[in-house]
Amino acid sequence: MTDPMPPHGHLCWSYDDQEVFADEAERHVVAGLAAGARVWFVTPTPAGPVAERLVRLPGFADAVDSGAAALVPLGETYTAGAVVDPPAQVAAYAAATEAALAAGFTGLRVVAEATDMVRTPRQLAAFTRYEHQIDRWMRTGPFAAVCAYDRSALGDATVAALACMHPESNQTEPMFHLYATAPVDGHAALTGELDPSNQELFRDALEWADLRPTDGRLVLQATGLRFLDHRALIALQAYAVRRDATVVLRTSHPTPARLTDLLGLTAIQVETVR
Amino acid sequence: MRTGAAAGHPGYFHEAIRYDTDDELLAVVVPFLLGGVEAGEPTFVALGERNAKLVRAAVPTGAAVEFLPGGDVYARPAAAIRSYRQLLAEQVAGGAKQIRIIGEVPEVALGATWDWWARYESAINHAYDDFPLWSMCPYDTRIVPPAVLADVARTHPRFATPDGGHVPSPTWTPPEAFLREHRPAPPDPIQAAPPVVDLRDPSAADARAAVYGADQGRLPVDDLEDLVVAVSEIVTNALRHGRAPVRMRLWAAPDRIVVTVSDAGTGPADPYAGLLPAGNGSPGGLGLWITYQSCNHVSQHHGPDGFTLRLTGGSPYTAR
Repeated sequence: MTDPMPPHGHLCWSYDDQEVFADEAERHVVAGLAAGARVWFVTPTPAGPVAERLVRLPGFADAVDSGAAALVPLGETYTAGAVVDPPAQVAAYAAATEAALAAGFTGLRVVAEATDMVRTPRQLAAFTRYEHQIDRWMRTGPFAAVCAYDRSALGDATVAALACMHPESNQTEPMFHLYATAPVDGHAALTGELDPSNQELFRDALEWADLRPTDGRLVLQATGLRFLDHRALIALQAYAVRRDATVVLRTSHPTPARLTDLLGLTAIQVETVR
Repeated sequence: MRTGAAAGHPGYFHEAIRYDTDDELLAVVVPFLLGGVEAGEPTFVALGERNAKLVRAAVPTGAAVEFLPGGDVYARPAAAIRSYRQLLAEQVAGGAKQIRIIGEVPEVALGATWDWWARYESAINHAYDDFPLWSMCPYDTRIVPPAVLADVARTHPRFATPDGGHVPSPTWTPPEAFLREHRPAPPDPIQAAPPVVDLRDPSAADARAAVYGADQGRLPVDDLEDLVVAVSEIVTNALRHGRAPVRMRLWAAPDRIVVTVSDAGTGPADPYAGLLPAGNGSPGGLGLWITYQSCNHVSQHHGPDGFTLRLTGGSPYTAR
């Protein structure tokens, strides 16, 4: 079986149907255990239908006994219904990953049903910031996560806001992802397409990511970006100016350099890599 | 103080030259250039290869006349306006009281793509009026079609003549009026066949994917990417500012891709749409300006069913 976890180890998975989510959760639990990781299913309903499916997996009970697997009530890792405290939550997962390594596992893999963490605008604003912070930590530690969200409860706009803060998601909207890179590769990476359909969300995503310049530079790996328009470039220019930085945009397309010149966006430095 | 015929004129002093012989051309151009040099005014030549050679041979060696590569300046009207405005702003910042330019649109512009150059000749009356510019645009009556000469007369307030005269053009039409007229380009012959793409109310992403899908290695990569940007902007404008339904069609030839985007509306209200960046924030103006900077031809078509913008990437159809 191939591992359903994509390379960056941080997948946003939205669902409308509990059974479909249970199928996906099973795949990750099985793959995580096979990879020698400690596996947690974090859920507000440890007795719910998805948990029941996992419990019936062959070998799951033994894995629970050996400390390799656990059903973790949402309230034990996050404070359910509360506004997440991003640094504290990152620290908690860092400690849990250290504990898994100390216990002889290859790392920690979590399937987290986090719908209860993003039901209000305040919760969402904090959680989207947290998603980027945990994503940044994941580039350096053996921690992987599936963040599962119930689309029928949250709606498309909320799910799109969460999806864009992950390296990968199981949906086509909002067409772009903004995620952390390993420190040697710059500050963040962009994939997908940036156009009028997601221009406002892109501006929000940049704020949520809260990128901190190094020596006055913010390096964005955009070689995975198939398209970006003048609106996105103008948003990057404004972001760079507010952060007193130059945005270094690494792209394989010829148009960003041309548009940047055309519009006089002097806070963006385009590096075209072919 | 401005010198010569433009002395005392505020803003842009825009003249055309109609000439039948090389001698007639030089009879106007040489005194114009040398007058500028004598007065210490920045003096530029942006002519095609043939006429540039002619003028170069006729002005004294060492005269302070700067020759610009005419073909580059006149690649696209919106780009010409942008680069000239930059040049003019630099000269004024450097203390110039008047700038003299002799510049001609390339011969290839006198055919099926003349519509956007006619708009250029009209729009610059406004676009360069911020500057103390005196310019002359030569047209060779031996090769210029009569319909183009008629537009030249309507878009230039006056003519410079070989006998040293500066005479008003009787058919001069201010740009706000000229640019509101409908000026469709002739159909590209490849539009006679059914389009290879025909989409109704496509998203901008659908439209971009359709262009990439139709390319199949036809266009140089820069031309393709520029066309994708343009199509994305125009479909966005049609969806946001036009009236449904929006229809996108695409035709492909070995050396070019032609895309039309139609909606049931009346098109942009700004007469300078596409040629100048919409400083007044008119809806979709920046996207349209970027489109004019990105395509090798753009034409506007008004019909009973609405408004169509036609974009060409690659080598446009230019027959006369």
